[in-house]
Amino acid sequence: MQICNLSENNFEQCTKCSICTTVCPVAAVTTDYPGPKQAGPDGERYRLKDPAYYDKMLKLCLNCKRCEVACPSGVHIADIIQKARMQASAGHRAKLRDTVLANTDLVGTMANLVAPIANFTVGLKPTKLVMDSVMAIDKHRTFPAYSRQKFTTWYKRNAAKQQDAFANHVSYFHGCYVNFNFPKLGQDLVKLMNAVGYGVHLLDKEQCCGVALIANGLYKQAKRQAKTNAASIRKSVDIDHRTVLTTSSSCTFNLRDEYPAVLDVDTTDVRDNIMLATRFIYRLVDEREIKLVFKQDYKRRMAYHTACHMQRMGWQLYSIELLRMIPGLDLQLLEQDCCGISGTYGFKKENYENSQAIGSILFKHIADAQVEAVTTDCETCKWQIEMSTGLPVENPISVLADALDVEATRAANGLK
Amino acid sequence: MRMDTVIMGGGLSGLTCGIALAKRGQRVAIVASGQSTLLFNGGSMELLGSIDGKAVTAPLEAIATLPQNHPYRKIGDDRIAALADEAKQLLADAGINMEGNAAANHWRITPIGVAKPAWLTLSDHLRIDDLEKLPAKRLALMAIRGYLDHPNSMLAQGLRDLGFDVDVIEFTTDEISSLRRSPTEMRATSLAKRLISDHALQRIADQINELAGDADMALLPSVLGQNNEETVKTLQSMVKVPLRLVATLPPSVAGSRMQASLRHYFMMLGGTYLMGDTAVSGEMEGDKLLKVSTAKLADMPLRADNFVMATGSFISRGLKADYRRVYEPVLDLDVDADSDREQWTQFGVLDQQAYMSYGVATDERLRCLKNGKPVTNLHAIGSILSGHDAIKAGDGTGVSLLTALAVAKDILANK
Repeated sequence: MQICNLSENNFEQCTKCSICTTVCPVAAVTTDYPGPKQAGPDGERYRLKDPAYYDKMLKLCLNCKRCEVACPSGVHIADIIQKARMQASAGHRAKLRDTVLANTDLVGTMANLVAPIANFTVGLKPTKLVMDSVMAIDKHRTFPAYSRQKFTTWYKRNAAKQQDAFANHVSYFHGCYVNFNFPKLGQDLVKLMNAVGYGVHLLDKEQCCGVALIANGLYKQAKRQAKTNAASIRKSVDIDHRTVLTTSSSCTFNLRDEYPAVLDVDTTDVRDNIMLATRFIYRLVDEREIKLVFKQDYKRRMAYHTACHMQRMGWQLYSIELLRMIPGLDLQLLEQDCCGISGTYGFKKENYENSQAIGSILFKHIADAQVEAVTTDCETCKWQIEMSTGLPVENPISVLADALDVEATRAANGLK
Repeated sequence: MRMDTVIMGGGLSGLTCGIALAKRGQRVAIVASGQSTLLFNGGSMELLGSIDGKAVTAPLEAIATLPQNHPYRKIGDDRIAALADEAKQLLADAGINMEGNAAANHWRITPIGVAKPAWLTLSDHLRIDDLEKLPAKRLALMAIRGYLDHPNSMLAQGLRDLGFDVDVIEFTTDEISSLRRSPTEMRATSLAKRLISDHALQRIADQINELAGDADMALLPSVLGQNNEETVKTLQSMVKVPLRLVATLPPSVAGSRMQASLRHYFMMLGGTYLMGDTAVSGEMEGDKLLKVSTAKLADMPLRADNFVMATGSFISRGLKADYRRVYEPVLDLDVDADSDREQWTQFGVLDQQAYMSYGVATDERLRCLKNGKPVTNLHAIGSILSGHDAIKAGDGTGVSLLTALAVAKDILANK
């Protein structure tokens, strides 16, 4: 007797309850977008019949995954939409603008060489206007500043030698943002891990995780880079026995879930060994493997913003619980709302207005919280919130490193 | 991760129980797999609506006549009135202001115009205390142009059958008509997102003031106030006649508001709400549940002194059925259900369906049974409980609220 007859098409799990439509940030601000139910499971039925039923408005999807989080029936709504976009774009070349936005590592490498000039130039009004009119990158946007020294350069010069001396070891997938724009976050992670007795190592070969490539339709390149990263991660996990830590929620989600789901690059064998540093550290504290000691005089009031991909992974509680361990930190939890930037989405001229409209709910909550800074695990949320609220935004790892009493922590963990 | 109590399920019962425990200083985590069936709720709570097809007027008295295996009877008849008051207060503390009392049902109006007995109804929604004394004679039913999901003619007919004079008045505003571009999005919750600013509300108020004329009361589909009741209050203050909302088809704005308010309150009390995660398995030791694993926390299970099963019925996947059996998928708890599949259903959709009263088996303290014995630190609350048919009896939300509060008390008393 037939016991189970599940369709291999995940969209068949949809019961048409429409709950996903209540949380879609895009449909809330524009009627151009048909909404997750129509764009995902409903549309898929037609697209299977004939790809011509593809609706180009699907490119308005942020891929924030809030629909998947809300779905009571386990439908991978956003994955269905991403795959449909991918299939529809086969054979089309990406726009120059999208290629530039998506190649965070290539552009980063070039920009690092001339960081002061690049930062100065892209900040100039005439440059912004040219980018706006020629490239369709919205003039209101401030490009994240490029660092003069890459994280990897800093690491090789200042940190690499000391790492082998530790008793325990992890690898670090730093991502483009840490490498090109904000090495301090990587330095904070090294500081934190070293203080509790863990050496931090780079992967043999790390390329951009490709989250922006996927969003901009550069799938072949994304897949190539995914394969390189998967091989490096496998070496770290299987041969060096080092868990791979990350500090960006979107990179993490991409490496763990989008590689197999969207790019067909299987990382399921090492998935459990790729994780946000906050989860790794929380576990060590929870299992009493390590101790964290914080500065007596540390005092701040911050708000925690759950990035959409963080919520999709379900890991915000690790960052929140770690932050709650800092005695001097008055932590306010914000309702989960989308900030509207979604990586490169909000940089595009055609999306700017929607992007800010989506974020407005969050910005109001931040203003109401009356905090001196915001903390979140996503770097693009950081850009958006900094630009839109004027408040500084820090990764929880940086907050922890800042509040940490390094000497006392080293002593508590038996390090000299 | 260690908690005092871990609640599986983040709907009405899970949140109510979580709030009651967090208020008393417990560290509580709620695992919520997606949004809950509260989003299908039209803005009312029911304690007990009918017995054997007959409307109940005095639910507290009628509860004493229910079978012994009904969750209310397990709580104890003498405790129901106090728990009902407590539930109403908890909702108010969360910012959900409802009217009604447990001693006498009032009437709520369904989206198709049927009057059903109810215990509590949102203060800004249409409520009829006594069918012989209607709250207004002449109603202006404001029908939103293009809002195809709202069956205005059926609603109007239903209201006329109750004795109202009803004028159906079609109207629109720029904000509303902008949604008509996307026919699939012309639904209550989408409208609510566009009807927030004072400007958008004033345009609606202008229409009502101009068109509702000399009506005693204006009725508007419940398409306002997804996050709080302030939006509705603002509109009410702009409109000259008394204004009440009427329930829409789901997903409902009122339900979204209640879910969001409860969740917000729970988090304000320090609770941890794991949105979009699902409990997948648990580990027992003797007669106790030690820990629960979730899909996303994976190899870092949640440990707690107490656990609560609030995962809902079939629609929420708290119960599942295959061709052989009805089962509880997380811990494989004992289930009260017919083993013969032929008995599960009746032919007519509207017939009494046996499966509606299936659920996990519990002892008199609502502790779950496994292999016939109670799991001493695991309670069940809400729709997953056996012994009641929420659709036929009109007791679903009441069972959720009252069992949640009773179990919270049991947990606190037996620390």
